[in-house]
Amino acid sequence: MIRTEIHIIKNRCKGCGICIEICQNKILEISEESNKYGYHPPTVKNQDECINCGLCEMFCPDFAIWVVSQESVQT
Amino acid sequence: MEIHTEEHHPIDSFIHTELIHSMWCSGCGNGTVVYALINALKEAKYDFSKVSVISGIGCTGKVTDYIKLSSLNAKEMSVIKYAADFKFKHSDQNVIALVNNADFLLDGAKSFIEAGNDSANILVIHINNCIYLITDNAIVPITPFMRFSVNGDFELPFNLPHLAKTCHSDYVARWTPLRTGWLKYSMIEGLSKKGFSYIEIISPCVIYNVTDRRIEDPVRRMAFYDKNAIIKSWEKTENLDLRDGNRIIIGKFINK
Repeated sequence: MIRTEIHIIKNRCKGCGICIEICQNKILEISEESNKYGYHPPTVKNQDECINCGLCEMFCPDFAIWVVSQESVQT
Repeated sequence: MEIHTEEHHPIDSFIHTELIHSMWCSGCGNGTVVYALINALKEAKYDFSKVSVISGIGCTGKVTDYIKLSSLNAKEMSVIKYAADFKFKHSDQNVIALVNNADFLLDGAKSFIEAGNDSANILVIHINNCIYLITDNAIVPITPFMRFSVNGDFELPFNLPHLAKTCHSDYVARWTPLRTGWLKYSMIEGLSKKGFSYIEIISPCVIYNVTDRRIEDPVRRMAFYDKNAIIKSWEKTENLDLRDGNRIIIGKFINK
């Protein structure tokens, strides 16, 4: 199993929902709370199914979400 | 479960983080293009002091405000001309010209043809959203066929990759923002050419609606562009105009 960390900068998000749509394993969902500009950023629903494909990082137009695999954190 | 906030994105050292929250609409393709550009420069190990970006007006022109590269915001008609002159003066710099429809079609096509015929060593990235956003009911020469303006006119679309080919381009490609990985490799290849290279990105404008100017759902727009795009590399450039209804041919067409 690949252990990953999903990082989200909530105040950069504009709530377009592309990361939620593009995720293959449906990990992300829209959160109830809003950030300081009034958008609803995504939250992580089930972290364990992340396979570190990096699609959410690649398609985010506002540089707000990225994935780090656990091995690269330790080294 | 670990969720970390307020840390550094992998490309944060290359953008002005104090200016982002950017002015682009939610889901705009321009941010993806910036991500692909910076990752292309990182992956090909370019010296960032040896890269210059020149952009024009409008939303695409704001790209140079957000990235930490030597950049210039030229007038609308002369982006490619400035880029070619800049490359002529500073031959050690890798020059990238970012143009949109207003830069390209209003008065800039002349400088495009001149730079192509002179084989200027620049990379032209054209972000094509198929409209002029500034004016209300204008259809542009590259609007897809049978898309009517408010007045009810239509015209046949113009074929930009074929123009680039007849201007002796060394590299011609066309992508949508949802092909970010391919777009990144196209940018690397186009930068490595010793000649004129042209990449067209067909990116939806999420704000534009004919009846009222509201922001449409960006996920639906991107899914429409993704569903109707067909990858056909090495297709003849004569067949590349947007005449065929909902069919966008993307890929790499010329690589000399």
